[in-house]
Amino acid sequence: MAAAEAALKIRSAMEQLRAADVRDRPLVEVLNLSHQMADAMQAFFGSMDRSILGEFQYIADFIQKTRDEISGLQANEIKNDRIPGASMELDAVVRDTERATETIMAEAEALMAAEPADLDGYKADVDAAMMRIFEACSFQDLTGQRVTKVISTLRHIEERVTKFANALGVVDATTKESAEEARKRELLLNGPAVNGPATSQDDIDALFA
Amino acid sequence: MAVDLSMPVLVVDDYQTMIRIIRNLLNQLGFKNIEEAKDGRQALEKLNAGRFGLVISDWNMEPMTGFELLQQVRASDKLKATPFIMVTAESKTENVIAAKKAGVNNYIVKPFNAETLKGKLKTVLGEF
Repeated sequence: MAAAEAALKIRSAMEQLRAADVRDRPLVEVLNLSHQMADAMQAFFGSMDRSILGEFQYIADFIQKTRDEISGLQANEIKNDRIPGASMELDAVVRDTERATETIMAEAEALMAAEPADLDGYKADVDAAMMRIFEACSFQDLTGQRVTKVISTLRHIEERVTKFANALGVVDATTKESAEEARKRELLLNGPAVNGPATSQDDIDALFA
Repeated sequence: MAVDLSMPVLVVDDYQTMIRIIRNLLNQLGFKNIEEAKDGRQALEKLNAGRFGLVISDWNMEPMTGFELLQQVRASDKLKATPFIMVTAESKTENVIAAKKAGVNNYIVKPFNAETLKGKLKTVLGEF
């Protein structure tokens, strides 16, 4: 039953009692008090109804905004197209660099094993090997283009996720580190530094001097 | 005393290309008996099964890192005297110091050249 409906029923009951000309003083006082209480309750429940309605409206708006932001994130496009595409590009980078390294090392090893008894023949072999090494080095142009594509994908994802997090006011939660994560942090390090070694070989040598 | 170039050297790295580079450099320097392992665990098995005059190890490997291998080697009565050189892309000073404290004989940062490797081998093993 709505608050307004309940208040109306109480008021109706009191008016019926008044109409019946009840003269019992305590009963009249009780009726007056009930009347005041009914008015107060009506005001209270009325405001509560409006407040709850406002809360639900806020929640509904927030859900709609969240849906809009998730939709703007284009998660399916990222999952189905961009990440698999970037993954394929990186696989190709690894494959191309491995192939080029294999070619270069094989040529170098063959030259190191060659017997330079016949100097003209040896020079011809060296020239041919050098040409194959130059050809193999062309991988760098292709891998550069592939890596550029991957960087573009990462930037795209970064922009979308940042926009999403900002729109929803997302705050990073603290998560408990697993034993495996702790081991990786402590024992498996970060690999090469971006701008060359953090400590130069000369400085390291000084530590061992 | 001259270095015995026929002594077995164990090269530990999870990248076959890096093993191949170090193997070729060692061959050029005269070392002919070179074995390889792809991680610390496999290296430890080989070390326990044989007799090696030098370990050259990467740091970042699974399931056992080069640092854990170094600790195991130094904790073993049989292996603790084996010269150990770390060759790694890890160059933070605290990591270098940690390796030194754990007993590494020398430390080379990747990428490195033949002269650097030769210099460290001479420092650790003596002239050859």
